[in-house]
Amino acid sequence: METYSPIFALVIFFIAVALLYVLFRPVKGWFWIIKKAFHTNEKVIIEDVLKQLYHFETSKNKVDMKTLVQVLDFKHADIVEAIKKMTINDLIYSESDVLKLTEEGRDYALRIVRVHRLWERYLADKTGIHKKEWHDRAESMEHRLSHDEAEELAAHLGHPKFDPHGDPIPTKTGKMASVHGVELPLLPIGSVGKITHIEDEPEVIYKQILAEHIYMGSMLKVIENNATRIVFESEGEVFKLAPIVAANLTVALIEKEVVLEDNVARLSSLKINETAKILGISRENRGESRRRLLDLGFVKGSSVSIDLLNPLGNPNAYLIKGTSIALRKDQASKILIKKD
Amino acid sequence: MKDNNIDHIIELSNELRWQIGDEFHDNLTESIYADAAEIVKDSVKTQDGEKRFRLDAKIDKIVTSKTWGFPIMFLILGTVLWLTIVGANYPSSLLASLLLDTVHPILRSGADSVQMPWWLSGFLIDGVYLAVAWVIAVMLPPMAIFFPMFTLLEDFGYLPRVAFNLDSLFNKSGAHGKQALTMSMGFGCNAAGVVATRIIDSPRERLIAIITNNFSLCNGRWPTQILIATIFIGAVVPKSLSSFASLLAVIGIAVLGMAFMFGVSWALSKTVLRGEVSTFNLELPPYRPPRFWKTIYTSLIDRTAIVLWRAIVFAAPAGAVIWLISNIHVGGDETIAAWLINGMDGFGFLLGLNGVILLAYIVAIPANEIVIPTILMLTVMVTGIGGGAGAGVMFELDSINATGDILKAGGWTLLTAINLMLFSLLHNPCSTTIYTIYKETNSVKWTTVASVMPVILGFVVTFLVAQIWRLIF
Repeated sequence: METYSPIFALVIFFIAVALLYVLFRPVKGWFWIIKKAFHTNEKVIIEDVLKQLYHFETSKNKVDMKTLVQVLDFKHADIVEAIKKMTINDLIYSESDVLKLTEEGRDYALRIVRVHRLWERYLADKTGIHKKEWHDRAESMEHRLSHDEAEELAAHLGHPKFDPHGDPIPTKTGKMASVHGVELPLLPIGSVGKITHIEDEPEVIYKQILAEHIYMGSMLKVIENNATRIVFESEGEVFKLAPIVAANLTVALIEKEVVLEDNVARLSSLKINETAKILGISRENRGESRRRLLDLGFVKGSSVSIDLLNPLGNPNAYLIKGTSIALRKDQASKILIKKD
Repeated sequence: MKDNNIDHIIELSNELRWQIGDEFHDNLTESIYADAAEIVKDSVKTQDGEKRFRLDAKIDKIVTSKTWGFPIMFLILGTVLWLTIVGANYPSSLLASLLLDTVHPILRSGADSVQMPWWLSGFLIDGVYLAVAWVIAVMLPPMAIFFPMFTLLEDFGYLPRVAFNLDSLFNKSGAHGKQALTMSMGFGCNAAGVVATRIIDSPRERLIAIITNNFSLCNGRWPTQILIATIFIGAVVPKSLSSFASLLAVIGIAVLGMAFMFGVSWALSKTVLRGEVSTFNLELPPYRPPRFWKTIYTSLIDRTAIVLWRAIVFAAPAGAVIWLISNIHVGGDETIAAWLINGMDGFGFLLGLNGVILLAYIVAIPANEIVIPTILMLTVMVTGIGGGAGAGVMFELDSINATGDILKAGGWTLLTAINLMLFSLLHNPCSTTIYTIYKETNSVKWTTVASVMPVILGFVVTFLVAQIWRLIF
C-alpha cells in the first residue's frame, strides 16, 4: 500500500483500458486483425481473384495484373503467387496481359458468388443483422461454406432466385436469372418502373441509398432527369438523388400501360382523421417481422386509420380490424396504402 | 426406369420453381390472409365496433397526450413504489419482531434445553434459520404489496400505454418499449422482472431486457440505500435538509440505474446482440375493469410465492456459510471470515470500499436483504467493539445512530457510503435472479454475461469514484 497514490492507480487503469481498446475495438482491433490474417490463406486469395475476374468479365471490362492488385486487399507478392498457381491449375489464362477465366475457373467463381448471395439472403431473411453488414459478412462466409452446406442452405431458404439487393443467385448448375432493367439515370422523364436491383458497392453510396429509405420493389416515376440531379416520385414521396447515386439503382421499365395509382402512399404518411386501404407490405419487410404484420391484419384490403399519436412522435398506434396496434415509423414506411 | 422417372420429376419441379419466381410464396400467404379477412367480414357481425370510440378513446387521449402522458405515468409508478416501500415497513417490522426477536430466542433456549451441541444449534438456528427468517421478513411484505398493485395496472390495460409512450426512448438504445414495464417490475424484484420479459416477443429485445433488468434497484436494495443515505449523506447537510438530501441521493442512485440500463442496452444491441432477430409490435388492448380478487390471488401465487420460495432455497445455505466462515478457525486464531477480509482489504480499499463489504457481497449473493446484517456482524467481529449477537449471528439495530456508530468504528467514511450505494446498484444479480435468467434464456453464456457484466461495471465505477474523490479531498 505504500506505493499507492490515486494518480498512479488511475494511470494504470487507463493504460489497461487503452490496451483493451487497441486489442478488441471493433474491426480495427489488433486481435481481430491477427485473427483475420490467420484466416487469410491461399484459398481465400484464389477465390477472391476468381470472383473479381468474374465481375470484370460480366461487366465486360478487361483486367490486367496491375488493376487486379489494386482492387484486392492482399499483399502484392501473395497475389502474384496465387495467380501463378491458378494458371498452372487451369483456372485462368492470360492473353497479352489480360487475365481471363477458363471454363473451370468460371464455374468455381460462380460457386463463390452463389454462396455469397445465398448468405446475404440468409442474413436478410433469418437474422436481425443490419443491411449495412450483409456484404462484409458474406465476404468472409463465402470462403468457409462447403458445396454441400451451400446446398443445404439453399434448400432451407427455399431456393431463392435473387439476393436481397436484387442480384440473381446462380443455381448449382450455374444457371442464373437475368436482372431486368436499366440504370435509373438512363430513364427518360415520365417513365414508370420498378426498382429491381440496388447495388451495394461502393459502401458510401449504398449507405446514402439506405438513408433515403429507398426500397427494393418500389414503383417509381421519373419527374426530372438532368446532369445535376434525378428526381423521382415513389409511394407518395419525392426523392432527389445525385446521378452517381442513382446509377446504383436498376429500374425495370413497365412497358404495359399500368395506371400508377394516385394517392398511393406509405402508411407512415397517414394523417390523423384520414382513412386508407392497405395495398401491401414492401419486400423490404422480411421474415419474422413480415409474418407478424400479416398476423395482425395488415393485409391487402384492410382499412386503416390512426388511433393515437405518440407524445414523443414514434411509434404511432394504428386502428386495424378493430384493434389498436402500435408500429414504429420505419415499419409503417414499408406498408403501402391508398388513401380514401 | 423408376429412378429415371423420379429424376425427371425433380428436374421438372426445379424448372417450375424457377419459373414461378420468388414472390410466389409470399403472394400465396398474403392471399390466404386476405381471403380469411373477406370471410370474416361477411360472416361475423360485431356490435362493439363503435364502443371503442367513447370511453377508451377518451382515456387514451389523456394518458398518451403530450401534456399529461408523462406526469400521469410518473405519478402512478411513483405512488406504487412509495406505497410499497413505506407500506412494507409495518408488516416487515411485525414479521421481524416475530421471527427474529421472538421465535429465534425461543429456538435457542429450546436447543439449550435439549443440550444440543453449540455448533449444531449455531449452524442451524443462527445460520440457516436466521437467514431464512430475515429474507422472509424483509422480502415478503414489499412483494405482497408491489406485485398485486402492478398486476392490477397490467390487467386494467394501462401498462401497454406506458410502453407506447416510452418506446422511442427505448428504440434509441435498441430496446423494446415493453422494457419499461419489465424495468418497473424490476423495481419490485429483479427475478420477477426477468420473468416478465416474456411479454417481449422479439428475441433480441428480450435478451436485452433480461440482461439489463439488474439495473433496476430492487426491493432488497432500497432499504440498504435508504439506511446508508440517511446515516452518511443526511449527516453532511444541515439538519433541516437531511431527510431531503438522503431522499435525493437514493432517487439519484435509482436514476443512475436507469441511465446504466439505457447505456448498456445500447451497447449490447450494437455489439454482442447485433445478429439476433428483432421485430416490433405492440398491441394496445381495450381497457377493462380488473378482476380484483383473481388478480390478487394469481399475483400472490404466481409471482410472490414462487420468488419467495426460490429466495428461501438460496438463503438457507447462505446463512449456513455465513455462520461457518465466522466460526471455523484456520491456523491460529483467525476465522475464515477474518482471513478473507484481510485478504480482500487491499482490493476493497482501491475501490473505496473494504474487505468486510466485499465479503458481505460474496456471501450475500443469495439475497440482497442480508447484506447490511452481514456487514454489521462482520464489522463487529473484526473490530472487536461491543454490540452484536456473537460470531456468525447476523443482526440489525433499531437505532440508526447506533448502526452508524458501528460502521464508523469499522472505518467508514462518506466515500465508503457513496461507493457502497453505487456498488449496491452495480453488482451481480442475486442468485434467485441468476437462476431465473438461466431458466428463461436456457443459455449459460447469457446467464454469465448478465451476472458478471454488472460486477465489472461496479468495480470500474467505484474505482474511478474512489480515485477522483481522493484526488479532490
